[in-house]
Amino acid sequence: MNPIVSPAPHIRSRRTTKHIMLDVLIALLPAAVAGIVFFGWEAAVIIAVSMLSAALTEFVWYTIQHKFWRDKGVFAAFFRQFDFTSLVTGLLLALCLPADAAAWYMPLLGSMFAVAVVKMLFGGTGKNIVNPAIAGRVFLFISFMTLMTSYPEARFAPVMSYADDALTAGATQLGNFLQGNATLSALDLFLGTGVAGCIGETCKLALLVGYLYLCARGVIKWYLPLLYIGTTGLFAVALEGFDFAAFLPSVLSGGLILGAVFMATDYVTTPKSRLGNLVYFIALGLLTAGLRKAAGIEVVSFCILLMNFTVFLIDLLIKARPFGYRRQRRAKQRKEAEQ
Amino acid sequence: MKAIKAKPFFRGVRLRGRKELSENMSAERPDLAGCEIAIPMKQHVGAPAQPIVSAGERVLRGQPIAVGTGTVCAAVHASVTGTVTAVEERADGRGGRCMFVVIAPDGTDDEAFYPSLEQRDPASILQRIRDCGIVGMGGAGFPSHIKLSPPVPVDTLIVNGAECEPYLTCDDVLMRENRDAIVRGAGYMATALGAQRILIGIERNKPRAAALFEESGLPVILLKKQYPMGSEKHLIYCCTGRKVAPGKLPADVGAVVQNVATALAVCEAVERGKPLIERVVTLSGDGITTPKNLLCPIGAPLSALANACGGIKETAVKMVAGGPMTGTALTGTNAVVTKTTSGFLFMTADETNTQPPTNCINCGRCADVCPMHLMPMQTEFYVNAKEYDKAETYGGVLACIECGACSYICPARRPLAQAIKTAKEQLRRKA
Repeated sequence: MNPIVSPAPHIRSRRTTKHIMLDVLIALLPAAVAGIVFFGWEAAVIIAVSMLSAALTEFVWYTIQHKFWRDKGVFAAFFRQFDFTSLVTGLLLALCLPADAAAWYMPLLGSMFAVAVVKMLFGGTGKNIVNPAIAGRVFLFISFMTLMTSYPEARFAPVMSYADDALTAGATQLGNFLQGNATLSALDLFLGTGVAGCIGETCKLALLVGYLYLCARGVIKWYLPLLYIGTTGLFAVALEGFDFAAFLPSVLSGGLILGAVFMATDYVTTPKSRLGNLVYFIALGLLTAGLRKAAGIEVVSFCILLMNFTVFLIDLLIKARPFGYRRQRRAKQRKEAEQ
Repeated sequence: MKAIKAKPFFRGVRLRGRKELSENMSAERPDLAGCEIAIPMKQHVGAPAQPIVSAGERVLRGQPIAVGTGTVCAAVHASVTGTVTAVEERADGRGGRCMFVVIAPDGTDDEAFYPSLEQRDPASILQRIRDCGIVGMGGAGFPSHIKLSPPVPVDTLIVNGAECEPYLTCDDVLMRENRDAIVRGAGYMATALGAQRILIGIERNKPRAAALFEESGLPVILLKKQYPMGSEKHLIYCCTGRKVAPGKLPADVGAVVQNVATALAVCEAVERGKPLIERVVTLSGDGITTPKNLLCPIGAPLSALANACGGIKETAVKMVAGGPMTGTALTGTNAVVTKTTSGFLFMTADETNTQPPTNCINCGRCADVCPMHLMPMQTEFYVNAKEYDKAETYGGVLACIECGACSYICPARRPLAQAIKTAKEQLRRKA
């Protein structure tokens, strides 16, 4: 026996990055299924194009970066190190696009931009400064303004009748609400029946299932999305002059829940410390509610993108306090008082 | 007396105990006939002991063979009766080199113990502990006579029966088999300290030991199964609610922690005059045929102990001295039992899980489990950039207790604990 010699600890938890990303994919599954049920095959096309192009972009980047023409082992190495992050990016991006199969090139371009420019250019998994899916969405939003703001309404409507005049394609419920003509009930908003919007953001029930799964698996901390959603809702209430009727519509409509559960909680682009995370999510909530009120459009992705840039500042400003720190500080003050 | 349930400390990690492998094996003496006993001169924190015997001399079991030099040092005694064959520097099997006194046992069991201590006042007890070369047997190996004479008055002695490391069962077995001696040993230590209160902390996964100590009258603190519960600072917090500030000693909050094995050694030293010449060692892991707890003389070679356990399996890829979280990987079976060796583990590839590191995904799990509330990912980031001062500022380095919880939990398999040790070393060199 030629024993392995390595520093302690000699046992490791079995959970790797790959497992965590697989958990995120599983948690996104209900939302994806709900999207396909609500918007039909067009949603499926968007999701498939987005995920495939994301994975393919990473594959092409990796093989070129590692010079596949010199070493054929690069292809096998890619599959060994592949950790599903680009699939998560692709799926997330698809879930915040409108289900319009005619615009199949949007998810293609968005995923390529997200994976190649936002992630791989900065060094791959864990090195990106902003969330790739969010950056991809914002990239598409700026490039295809009209396509990105006209949403087909959910066609799956067991509760609502199609004849309902309130159902107009092109404006989301959040847009209607912000312009002061809210029409849908909170229950419809929650179930996503008849709501116009992106593929993944309409059915809040599916997102809730995903959220519960992520919490149960310990992937995210349960209080962070709630903090974001709650802050947004309460600040929206405050901006409406403490009209508590504004709470449920502002919380349930738009991409807030999708953003709060799956995008804002992205590990790479959130602060490292617990206190830093609290600050980050509260600031995110305030920014979202404020900008929504000021701009009159959905701004969750822009807010997350903006806050991503503050992460390194938060990390530098909020430092770790070792166990027993308070006692030392008090002792120091006492000593100073004595002198 | 009914056991008191202690509250847990914040953070920490839950580990798979794997104590079932060896917890039902009572401590037995291995057959060491025909193998030489090599006693290392450095088995403790501080300066190595100075050998006072030379090759060819006959030594008796319990006879001093090396004396402590300097303030932080401990004496070493012969653990078998026999002839000294060599006093030489050898590889210690842990990656370093050290002076050894090698004894060939002659099969007789003549003893040269100290007389039983008649006068049991603090000064005599401390002197006896010093004479007997007793060190902290939990793993750190700090000479006990120094720890038991702190510069500030202490009111509480905590006996550490937590044994939070997976696999190890030596303290569990020791507590079940030597309860009364441990209680008396704790009493002697409390006398030496001038402490009014003795507490014994036992993790909940050792119910038999806890039940035994409940009957003994010593207040038992039942601790949550949480790693690193056996850490001095966390044990003090869970047992008394006092927090030891970074850079301070436990004595500063009026508490001293001693391991159960140390308590037993103190009892034997005071009552029988027996120096620290043997200890219980757990041999465990999936890579050994029958995991056992062995009562070994100090200096017993690992190869002989492994044979006593039915031999090492083909599947073993790693050998560890100590627990799996803080122990040292061994380079070969020439390693010997020292005063601080709580176990030898033989691990298979499946148990050790040696995957290459990937990029940090900033998930914060290392900070979530750090019992000292540090930020290991920050430390590692700055250590990779060789910015050791920033590593201390943003990650917190000097307060680290090196428990390894961060490296254990890291989903990217990054060597976080190693980075913190590097930073500590660099900062110490600079200071």
